[in-house]
Amino acid sequence: MKILKFVQVAILAAAFIPQITLASSGAVHPPAQEWGFKGAFGKFDNAAVKRGAQIAVEVCMGCHSFKYIKFESLKQFGYTEAQIVAMAEGQGRTKKDKMLSAMDAISAKESFGIIPPDLSLMTKARKGYENYVYGILTGYLNEGEAELVAKVMEDETVSKSEALELAPVLHVDATHPEHVKHTLERIGNGDNFNKYFPGQFFAMPSPLSDGAVEYADGTESSLKQMSHDVTTFMAWTAEPTMVERKTLGFKVLIYLVFFTIMLYAVKRRIWAKAH
Amino acid sequence: MSKLMEWVDARLPISDMIKSQATEYPTPKNLNYWWNFGSLALFMLIVMIATGLFLAMHYKPDAQQAFDIVEHIMRDVNYGWLLRYLHANGATFFFIIIYVHILRGMYYGSYRAPREILWWIGVIIFFLMMGTGFLGYVLPWGQMSYWGAAVITNLITAVPVVGEDLVVWVWGGFSVGDATLNRFYVLHFLLPLVIFAFVIVHMWALHAVHSNNPDGIDIVDEEKDTLPFHPYFTVKDLYGVGVLLIIYCWFVFFAPNAFLEPDNYIPANPMQTPAHIVPEWYFLPFYAILRSIDFLGSFSKLAGVIAMVGAICILFVLPFLDRSPVRSFRYRPLSRSLFWIFVANAIMLGWIGYNPSDATAFDGALPLIILGRTGTAVYFGYFVMLFIVTAFKIEKPLPLPKSL
Repeated sequence: MKILKFVQVAILAAAFIPQITLASSGAVHPPAQEWGFKGAFGKFDNAAVKRGAQIAVEVCMGCHSFKYIKFESLKQFGYTEAQIVAMAEGQGRTKKDKMLSAMDAISAKESFGIIPPDLSLMTKARKGYENYVYGILTGYLNEGEAELVAKVMEDETVSKSEALELAPVLHVDATHPEHVKHTLERIGNGDNFNKYFPGQFFAMPSPLSDGAVEYADGTESSLKQMSHDVTTFMAWTAEPTMVERKTLGFKVLIYLVFFTIMLYAVKRRIWAKAH
Repeated sequence: MSKLMEWVDARLPISDMIKSQATEYPTPKNLNYWWNFGSLALFMLIVMIATGLFLAMHYKPDAQQAFDIVEHIMRDVNYGWLLRYLHANGATFFFIIIYVHILRGMYYGSYRAPREILWWIGVIIFFLMMGTGFLGYVLPWGQMSYWGAAVITNLITAVPVVGEDLVVWVWGGFSVGDATLNRFYVLHFLLPLVIFAFVIVHMWALHAVHSNNPDGIDIVDEEKDTLPFHPYFTVKDLYGVGVLLIIYCWFVFFAPNAFLEPDNYIPANPMQTPAHIVPEWYFLPFYAILRSIDFLGSFSKLAGVIAMVGAICILFVLPFLDRSPVRSFRYRPLSRSLFWIFVANAIMLGWIGYNPSDATAFDGALPLIILGRTGTAVYFGYFVMLFIVTAFKIEKPLPLPKSL
């Protein structure tokens, strides 16, 4: 009875939870993507991790590191000894080394103003998780959007209708054309705009574009495909023990459910004498 | 074997103790499942101490290394990920259980005479748990660890006169840093053992006055009203542990980060404040009370801290605020309504504590701070109303059963 009442109260309360507006932060939720490694039975797609590792080494590691991962641990995804040695040598390291970028912190700071963050844990370290990483990689202005921005800025003014047109592209408040104009001016100045970064401008220029790498397995390297693959790779670097965890968890839960049902039966039987 | 036990019992009466305090310990036969949460809390304490002990064997309280060490535990230590996720989610489940345990005591009047000291020890344990939880959250040395520690330790500066010096003494420096991490680790190791000692006293006090029950009436006939603890309550408690383990392990294995803030996977950075600092979920209602006092100018901080600490300390006087001749709210309709308002309000306060202090609801029409102040008033109002309703005999209790 009391549980029912509690549930009642909880549901009533939940119905009244109003929409929250935050005074600060202009972050936009990146849309959810399909990830094969999510859910109780989710596993890493080894081919995707392998392709993602190629992007990580050829693109990301120009600036970023994966300091919790060693080159040789990529072997499990089908890289040969020779390929791994070559990858490591590309960064001036050996296969036993951690996947550290060849770029040192000081020159990174000179070029970008900040030290590029380590990427090992990135899919766990931001709100939105994998969807955020994917959102960032695909959240730069595409060609059509860039053309639209250029067209609007030709006369260096932003009309009300132009602001409305650009608002969904830039994720800014369309009721203030001044705000839209300010964003456009920063884009014009070459600042790195990204739809899904809180604050919309940050130090990283767009790292990927269609055909940026040539996949060893012949997969077409579209922006979406590459973003998906490298995010999958980063989900693995964030928690290489994930599959082990879920596999063990499945066994543990089957055991516990069985064990608890037995305990309940014993409890019923013992208490039958008491009533 | 019996010869050996005779020899031991002549010197230390273990058999007697087990018989009178465990196997044959008379327990009210009408205890419902809400009474399982005491043994569940003990179970979680043991899980936390056991997993914590093994984590401590790998951890290093060094500001330069702590974050990497936690990842080392997650990746390189055999089943280190399991230990850490059991421990991190264990804190969450420990608090869920303890909140239900406290609310059960409040609903069935378990704090009433002759159980006041039993109740007080419980409140002390709750305080110690909050301290331990806070200290433990600092150890992974992520962004939320660091900034949570900075925000909470900064409250010490609200202490009049000595506050500024006191916080430097607590930090072991002029900001949260390596020395802070080191001492927090030492204290995080120590406090659970102190909790354990208080749990023993809690059980001693319990066994002196015996369990309350859902009807809140005294045992009239031990023969008819009670059952021996074993096997009746051992098996019932074990069944409860089974149910707990299913839910707990589901989180540990399939959603281990559900209760963790993503920011804590970013290494602590004193130069960069996170956009929104939130404490662990189990502090949120009290955090909301702290922030709701913002209208007293320079006294706001001190008043907020007093309100926050007072929100827990008021539990100490609860036994004397409740003047009803009846213990259990089962027979007290007005108190029961107040209780559910209190619970709903506490959940709302938690939600307010989770949101940034400048957030608004209903398209800016309702600043959350207003809701927070109202919630704080309702929180303390519960205790005032409970006193008024019972001391002035406004509440007419329903007739009590003669026996269990």
